[in-house]
Amino acid sequence: MSDAPFRNPGWAGNTGEFDLSEAEVRGDPYVGERPLDGGHPGAAPSLPYMLVKKRPSAPLFEGPYKERLDKIKERYPTARAALLPVLNMAQEVRGHVSPETMDEVAGLLELDRAGVRGVATFYTMYNKRPVGRFLVQVCTNISCNLCGADEVLAAFLDHAGVELGETSADGNFTVIEAECLAACGFPTCVQINSRYFEDVSADDVPAILERLQAEADDAPLGGRGSARR
Amino acid sequence: MAYPYRHEKEVRLMSDAFGDPAARTLEGWKARGGYQGIARALEIGREAVLADMKASGLRGRGGAGFPTGLKWSFMPKDAKRPHYLLCNADESEPGTFKDREIIRWTPHLLIEGCLVGAYAIGADHCYVYLRGEFFEATQVLAKALEEAYAAGLAGPDVLGSGVKIDVTLHVGAGAYICGEETGLMSSLEGRRGEPRIKPPFPAASGVFGMPTTINNVETLAAAALVARHGGEWYRQWGTEKSPGTKLFCVSGHVKRPGNYELPLGFPLMELVEDVCGGMRNGAALKAVIPGGSSVPIMDAEECASCELCYEGVEAAGSMLGCASVIVMDETADVVKQVRRMADFYAHESCGQCTPCREGTSWAARILRRIEDGRGTEEDLDTLLQISDQMTGTTICVLSDSLAAPVISSIEKFRDDYLALIRRGERVGAA
Repeated sequence: MSDAPFRNPGWAGNTGEFDLSEAEVRGDPYVGERPLDGGHPGAAPSLPYMLVKKRPSAPLFEGPYKERLDKIKERYPTARAALLPVLNMAQEVRGHVSPETMDEVAGLLELDRAGVRGVATFYTMYNKRPVGRFLVQVCTNISCNLCGADEVLAAFLDHAGVELGETSADGNFTVIEAECLAACGFPTCVQINSRYFEDVSADDVPAILERLQAEADDAPLGGRGSARR
Repeated sequence: MAYPYRHEKEVRLMSDAFGDPAARTLEGWKARGGYQGIARALEIGREAVLADMKASGLRGRGGAGFPTGLKWSFMPKDAKRPHYLLCNADESEPGTFKDREIIRWTPHLLIEGCLVGAYAIGADHCYVYLRGEFFEATQVLAKALEEAYAAGLAGPDVLGSGVKIDVTLHVGAGAYICGEETGLMSSLEGRRGEPRIKPPFPAASGVFGMPTTINNVETLAAAALVARHGGEWYRQWGTEKSPGTKLFCVSGHVKRPGNYELPLGFPLMELVEDVCGGMRNGAALKAVIPGGSSVPIMDAEECASCELCYEGVEAAGSMLGCASVIVMDETADVVKQVRRMADFYAHESCGQCTPCREGTSWAARILRRIEDGRGTEEDLDTLLQISDQMTGTTICVLSDSLAAPVISSIEKFRDDYLALIRRGERVGAA
């Protein structure tokens, strides 16, 4: 048993009891490989990625996305059951789910438009408005809150230069509060696009934003690799 | 090894490979004994698996603690209609972080649990409902599922037995209420995640109107081990009423937060002081929420003799829930934390039932007022009255889940509330 200090750096796994890289903790060899066509049909509804590059007027759904759509539909006994996975996929492509996108999805699945709007607006993770390249979601619920989540949120707002829910002028960062992310042993937990950042303190925030900035510059067209994060 | 710390008092049945990336692959998992449970289950047959599960005394790990074997036995025996198994991986109870660890470190254990559960209830399709935020963990599970299909473990002919079990990973989109079993069914059907009145119970008419069983991730992980080793084996740990081991999610003001797998009945203070290394900064213990944000808060005195099993925590005045132990030291602001929980429940209320929709948001507003020094003593009475009206009056227990911490915190930490109210009166904030 070590007397390691309470805080871990950036991601959990360096408590003195585990010798793990960030990639090993995240499962990068698995996470980065998932194919756009969804892979095995049983896993197809498990995507979406949150892409750095948003394409708000891109068509729904072409090429590998069409293949994924067909795989998703075959996994459920009703067309309606495919609605959440398909809305997820629409958000992966376009970055947010506009009323027009909701209507298009309704048409694709032959569902009533009002019903689809009712569902899309019920769930928090569907962005009803465009968001920045990186959506920063800071957990401020009880376990993180006890360990300084309010300061972490303030640091993100301060360093990104935004108000809560706003997007920075360069289009990079939207910062919002999140409810419990189920990583309470690693406070404060911050979800940024598809990734969890664990054990984040207010002091870590500038370095995290710099890293994200570098990733955005690296993959301006939103190809695979870091841009799929 | 529990993660991210280990302790010699743990009994690591499920969590031994947490923090071990090599256990994520099918090859690595088989080398650790994986998939022996489903193989044995297929060999001994459905009735024997059910008997084993009843003998083990395993209780559901999602919070309610209902005996798993009994739940499985409610499913109709005939196969006239499709049966479904739903794995509830929508972990979102504040303070709970065990299911994500199972999914990201031992995905094959969960898949095996799904196969065992589906086989036992005669389901040919298992949906794993994962919360949308779990992107990385879900992709680890997706890779494992593809391996399981390729190896003939999942699919039309599980291990050459002729039994068909499909597994589909279904991702939600951010709604706490979908962790409630009937809300989860609504969501899986592509609707708003609104809970339904029971009866009909899921075993009679569940998802898509078909017989359905819903089990938590940790329940199915434990079930895979019971299928491998038998029911009596599981009873060597825990108490008579709470057999086996449990993942304890410890968060808050301890030195070594994390998941620890311990036999049920383990003393709470030994968990805090020994296993978790004691309080951060050596401060005194003020309060513990032992089972996630939905259960009554306990003061230090109640914690002193509390044993962590279903009956033990109940005797101490709270509930084990999903064993999410949130620890607060003397610096914690109880009123602020209860207000934060109220904000959460107000945000997550699905809005179907008036006592919940109105009660959660009014409770949040009143608590905020008190926190800001603009409260009065009558506000405490109002909170208790609202909480009373939020208990047992709604379709699901979301509003009861806020009432529990509100009532218990006012009873046990009234002085904290009064201090804020009086400070406000002094500075004229009201």
